[in-house]
Amino acid sequence: MSLGGLGRPSLIAASALTTAGVLLSLWGALGRRSGPTEAGRRALTAGAAFVGLAGVALVSALFAHDFSLEYVTSYSSRALARGYTLAALWGGMEGSLLFWTVLLTLFSMIALRRAPAGDTSLRAWTAVVLGGIASFFLLILLFPANPFTTLAEVPADGNGLNPLLQSPGMLIHPPLLYTGFVAFSIPFAFGMAALLTKRLDEGWLKQTRRWSLFAWSALSIGIVLGGAWAYTELGWGGYWAWDPVENASFMPWLTATAYLHSVVIQEKRRMFKVWNLVLILLTYFLAIFGTFLTRSGILSSIHTFTEGPIGKWFLPFLALMLVGGLALIGARLDTLKSKNRFDSLLSRESAFLANNVLFLAAAFAVLWGTIYPIIAEAVTGVRLSVGPPFFNAVFIPIGLALIGLTGLGPLIAWRRMNTKAFFRMIRIPLVAGAAATIAAALAGVGSAGALLAFALCAFTTVAIVAEFVRGSRVHRRRARVGWPSAVARTLMRDRRRYGGYVVHLGVVLIVLGFAGSAGKVERSEHLAQGETMQIGRYTLRYEEFVRGETPEKQISQINISAARNGEVVETLEPQRNLHKVQRQFQSEVAIATGPVEDLYVVVTAVDPDGSASIHAFVNPLTWWIWAGAAVMALGMSVLLSEAGPRTATVGAPARVHRPLVATR
Amino acid sequence: MTRLLAALLLVGVLASPAAAAPLGAGPEDVANRMSGEIMSPFCPGVTLHECPSQEATDLRDRIEGWAAAGWSEERIMNELVAQYGDGIRAVPPSDGGGIVAWLLPGVVAVGGALFAGTLARRWTRQRERDRAGEDLEARRSITPEQRRRLAGELAALEARSAGQGRRL
Repeated sequence: MSLGGLGRPSLIAASALTTAGVLLSLWGALGRRSGPTEAGRRALTAGAAFVGLAGVALVSALFAHDFSLEYVTSYSSRALARGYTLAALWGGMEGSLLFWTVLLTLFSMIALRRAPAGDTSLRAWTAVVLGGIASFFLLILLFPANPFTTLAEVPADGNGLNPLLQSPGMLIHPPLLYTGFVAFSIPFAFGMAALLTKRLDEGWLKQTRRWSLFAWSALSIGIVLGGAWAYTELGWGGYWAWDPVENASFMPWLTATAYLHSVVIQEKRRMFKVWNLVLILLTYFLAIFGTFLTRSGILSSIHTFTEGPIGKWFLPFLALMLVGGLALIGARLDTLKSKNRFDSLLSRESAFLANNVLFLAAAFAVLWGTIYPIIAEAVTGVRLSVGPPFFNAVFIPIGLALIGLTGLGPLIAWRRMNTKAFFRMIRIPLVAGAAATIAAALAGVGSAGALLAFALCAFTTVAIVAEFVRGSRVHRRRARVGWPSAVARTLMRDRRRYGGYVVHLGVVLIVLGFAGSAGKVERSEHLAQGETMQIGRYTLRYEEFVRGETPEKQISQINISAARNGEVVETLEPQRNLHKVQRQFQSEVAIATGPVEDLYVVVTAVDPDGSASIHAFVNPLTWWIWAGAAVMALGMSVLLSEAGPRTATVGAPARVHRPLVATR
Repeated sequence: MTRLLAALLLVGVLASPAAAAPLGAGPEDVANRMSGEIMSPFCPGVTLHECPSQEATDLRDRIEGWAAAGWSEERIMNELVAQYGDGIRAVPPSDGGGIVAWLLPGVVAVGGALFAGTLARRWTRQRERDRAGEDLEARRSITPEQRRRLAGELAALEARSAGQGRRL
């Protein structure tokens, strides 16, 4: 049964309740009164319940094939598998904006409920900001992007979901990205509330630390899963194309990563107060700006299914957020002035500062490359393009410097370190880097960039492992336990520090996978049954042509054997399918994956006589990208498992952690 | 700074997958290389190499055909620009207004590094001045007897710390 009819009334009720919640919270904030503040929170909670009901209404309409709704007709069909019917919720602009709003109101409800009861003013202003953002999205859903628009004539079937989106990755990748984007609303709102209430100590940072980590983790995994989707679905043998939609998720990730590092300085040294507020403002601004870029139609991309008429609604919202946020920071500069002091240029603080410069430079490079075509067109009237060669040229040097810094950072002590001790610390990682370079060169790697990447990966890995060894040695001696137990204790006793190192290790593995692309080989051949082609060390033989059919598609499968040194080592089954509803061909890639290399085969065309165009790739080390993401996820779970602040009031002194292992 | 910018760009170019790819001269190598340097007219926002459509495959085959017929890469690019416009180039031009596109990220990175470096130096000097002031204040506010006791206790503390460090 379709609940589609409940959708729009639910959105209207949600909008009214959210507006009431904002007004009540504003009353509570201005008068520092707990009564209106609590009433405002309850109104926002009720609004969230109605947004949730609207979400349920759309999902039920999708599953009930309620083609009276334009959205259901546009993005689903009767033949669509049930899992992908759920994916249709975020397959189109209106549905994805509703999904965004469901997450926003849900997270707001949780964050406001968990906010310390003692600080009425901060809680009230946080509610005003979160409720204001929710009101904006509800306005969008009620007017330019209404997912419950009805059709005058109800069709018998829908248009179905874009075949490219019919992939298991699409069930997880977009929700994770949205979760990341939306969860940054919480630290952003707390930061703005801290500015409005002048509670500018470390309270708001500690209160939102887990939200920031949660948002960053979701965004990170979401981005990697997007790469995995591109790799397994798009059939061009790669995972990252610097497409504007990819860039839109990458820009806030870069500034958020800078923020996560920068808050450590504020918490440890009470410095960078202004900077952290600027970073969280930038992160949230870029999250919304990315949505504007990709959904307004101002940029065209492969994700054109998301274009729509909402650009003019987003522009004033973005302007208000950026100008308002910066004006607030400017107005509080006197309160925010911290006694910035570095004991030495050779210190962990300096490394964090360099880290922030590099992340911001990287974010700017990506932003600049993404918007340059718009600027060039506005100035010269000629539409220019900025593609992967530009992004690779400007981003890779910054990325490599960041990897080097990832290894250097843990080796440098807080406050000060003498150069002799520093060189003693980096001696072994440097040797490892040099050894890796020589080994890679002997293995035939000719690219200077790849050699540098391998050297930095080895340097950083050894630096991180050495940190674990130093920490674990203490536990081994004190608790008289074996190495595995000592490593586990090291990780769990100082989760923030060592969990961070595990995340760094994951990043290194991902970079290792990127560096492997320097050795990529690709070949195209048109083969008839029984013919062979050579790619790298493999001989591919077209063995068999298999036809099949499902309710959704006509399948043309080419069975290919891959032989190495005359021995068959893999059998691959790539497909070229015709999706019946969309009348669209779609290739299903076949990949034989392993830590050394991936053999990647895609059929780009099948002739009536059964002969087929085969595009094959050998992608070295790509496996390590996904392994690195898994290691990152492990590190993230360690970081997120750290207990949150026990303090009942925002701004109260945090509990003091006494590290078992002395920080150098 | 110009040298630094040039070095950064050089590292970028050396590190790019395009630079890393073997510069084969066969028609297929030319088509593979060039399809990474031109935007796809059929999949907005991505290069021809990444575009999965049949039209993209056909255009790639045409490029391979031109290369097989002996066309230089420059002639192929000119033909593509004539057919599809300037927007088919995947990078901004390296002259005129396009130079801004190339240089600005480097300028921002180097400018940011210089600014941060200047701040860090200022904060370090400020800390040294603070410390000097604190020392002077401390010397003024304690008696010689207190100073002797303090020196003794500090030495004992250092000895204890060194012992702990060895145990660590």
